[in-house]
Amino acid sequence: MAKVLPDIFIDSNLPAYEHLLELDNLKVYFDTQDGIVKAVDGVSFTLNAGQTLGVVGESGSGKSVTAMSILGLVPMPPGRFADGDIRFKGQSLLAMKDKDMQVIRGNHIAMIFQDPLSSLNPVYRVGKQVGEGLVIHRGLTATQAVAKAVELLDMVGIPNPEQRVRDYPHQFSGGMRQRAMIAMALACEPEILIADEPTTALDVTIQAQIIELMQELQKKHGTAIIMITHDLGVVADMADNILVMYAGKPVEYGTTNQIFYSPLHPYTWGLMRSIPKRTLDNDQPLTPIKGNPPSLIDLPAGCAFSERCPYVQQHCRDEEPMMRLVSDDHYSSCFFSHDGEFLLNSPIYDTTEEVAAGALDTGTLADAGALDTGTLADTGELADADDSNYQSGGRDG
Amino acid sequence: MQFVPVFIGVTLLLFAMRAIVPGDPIRMIAGEKSIPETTYRIIVERNHLDQPIYIQYGYYMGDLFHGDFGHSYQKGRDVIEIFADKFPSTASLALGAILIEIVVGISAGVISAVKKYSFIDMLLTLSTSILVSMPVFWLGMLLQSIFGIWLKNLTGGAISLPISGSGGPISAYPTFLHYILPSVTLASVSLAFTARIMRSQLLEVLSQDYIRTAYAKGLSKRDVILKHALKNAMIPVITFIGIDFGTMMSGAILTESVFSWPGVGREIYLAIIQRDWPIVMGGVVIIVIIVMTINLLIDISYALFDPRIRYGSKKAD
Ligand SMILES: Nc1ncnc2c1ncn2[C@@H]1O[C@H](COP(=O)(O)OP(=O)(O)OP(=O)(O)O)[C@@H](O)[C@H]1O
Ligand code: SF4
Ligand SMILES: [Mg+2]
Repeated sequence: MAKVLPDIFIDSNLPAYEHLLELDNLKVYFDTQDGIVKAVDGVSFTLNAGQTLGVVGESGSGKSVTAMSILGLVPMPPGRFADGDIRFKGQSLLAMKDKDMQVIRGNHIAMIFQDPLSSLNPVYRVGKQVGEGLVIHRGLTATQAVAKAVELLDMVGIPNPEQRVRDYPHQFSGGMRQRAMIAMALACEPEILIADEPTTALDVTIQAQIIELMQELQKKHGTAIIMITHDLGVVADMADNILVMYAGKPVEYGTTNQIFYSPLHPYTWGLMRSIPKRTLDNDQPLTPIKGNPPSLIDLPAGCAFSERCPYVQQHCRDEEPMMRLVSDDHYSSCFFSHDGEFLLNSPIYDTTEEVAAGALDTGTLADAGALDTGTLADTGELADADDSNYQSGGRDG
Repeated sequence: MQFVPVFIGVTLLLFAMRAIVPGDPIRMIAGEKSIPETTYRIIVERNHLDQPIYIQYGYYMGDLFHGDFGHSYQKGRDVIEIFADKFPSTASLALGAILIEIVVGISAGVISAVKKYSFIDMLLTLSTSILVSMPVFWLGMLLQSIFGIWLKNLTGGAISLPISGSGGPISAYPTFLHYILPSVTLASVSLAFTARIMRSQLLEVLSQDYIRTAYAKGLSKRDVILKHALKNAMIPVITFIGIDFGTMMSGAILTESVFSWPGVGREIYLAIIQRDWPIVMGGVVIIVIIVMTINLLIDISYALFDPRIRYGSKKAD
């Protein structure tokens, strides 16, 4: 029998907390031979029960390190928490002992990864791996866990789960592996599911199926999701809020409607222009952002995006812009986000549905309208415009 | 199976060597004394030594096919009988050595990997480097002089280890003590290799994505290593240990010679010196059979550890 870790979040008198998960000016640095890599530099966001947060940015923008930090999986050293905090149900995860973090991992916060094949252990049967969390956290025997794994595989839509549970990962196709990963992650019914580019390694039709599955399961279990992607189109349809990251720093944060209808930051505009669109009546050409992200060791002075920004001014190179509140719960780190004339440079999108459909090139994501309700309407009072530390309302928890 | 070509190749090579190596084996039986002409002729005829070498080869293979490994020139016994006598000594020594190799080599490798770059890791790396570069016979002699002589003198004979033979009724020591120094010596080099392979494999496996998954599930570091990393990391280690076991089973010529161990290796070594070709030939043929059988067993155990080999890919979605 496996020993079950005592759950610090059951039967404990936790103080009332405002948000399920809260990142507060998080800084994660890596001390390397070449210098300090500021992989995550001042990221803040909040996540409430049942909500979805999309984290978007190019490769190397610090998305994965942010996600890994939440589960305490960043290798330390070379990594270290330089500043800030992560609070789950009001409790600091950074201050937590590893024994207590083990209770959180897979039990309260679960994670799925980009490449489902390499993320599954090749020498164990899928069923054993899917049910393993239940052995650790719920004290099930191996046999009970495999029986539960059959149910879980069935839940994520794997045909013949009774037989498939005895398969090894290499006997599954890519899409089925990611379904199995989702089953594994949801085994203990976590409050938060972090999905780090879960569809990047899959082909387009399977991508849509996986996203659909995640949304369906979210509705059923009320799981909050952090959806990490480099593709705005993927989160257009499912996120309540979106955080755009560039070179380890947050550059824009707002509701999905705000990001898609009134994007503020030139980097977000660049991301939008590089989303492939299906509708041909649009005369805007597909334009990838020029250049490459800067080295995180040697960031340009001032605005991190200045070297690639088409609208760069001298001021941008002299001073570093900070996240600033521009309108209700909508933050941007561009100096000119308050300037109405400047904002005319923004690409205009008609509907988020169009973007989602264009990116995923499939008709399965029909219910894009779901996010239109509520997210803009119930924004609370204006938070203080604080330079280094921005907070969000969204739906208050 | 690659068994048949390997077998033919090895026997041909041995016959070629026999043709090249100088010295009349029959004359060597007698040593200084001369041998009666009639006896000489009997031995020559029985072994077809008057025929051309390819005819001799034909006879030899024919006999082998019937399970006849030949007859020693010197001892007047069947080769197969001689090896049946010697094999248990070799096998038990190999077993002792392989146990040491598995237990010490694997634990050293695991500790090194888990405590990467720590003092203990450096210490272990240094020790394995020394072991790898140390000649086996020299290590054997060193151990003999430390535990058999120096320690004995130091403790007034109270503590010492036997330095030769595999025990028996006439030995002053309990039998198992006889195994310690020879099996440590025999295990030394491969133990160091095992530790190194284990370390690098485990480090490699620990950087894999599925290890991150295991941590993300809430497993402790200990469980991640024991349950998720070791089985994967063991696959190449098992191959190495298996092949090594095959080599040990076929007789460790150096170790057996240094410790006067009455095993297969020493028997072959003595036979080479005395040009007792049937023993050399038979010994090598037996070794080939043992090594190939063990390799087959390794392939089977490989599949046991790695389902990707056991099952083909059946994909569906
Ligand atoms: N263990 C580490 N040691 C040193 N640097 C690291 C380490 N892990 C990550 N980094 C650095 O942190 C930065 C952010 O990496 P991260 O993996 O979070 O990017 P990402 O946004 O997830 O990109 P991708 O879309 O490619 O997954 C990168 O520059 C990376 O080189
Ligand atoms: S601050 Fe300047 S460089 Fe940075 S995004 Fe805005 S306009 Fe571009
Ligand atoms: Mg990543």
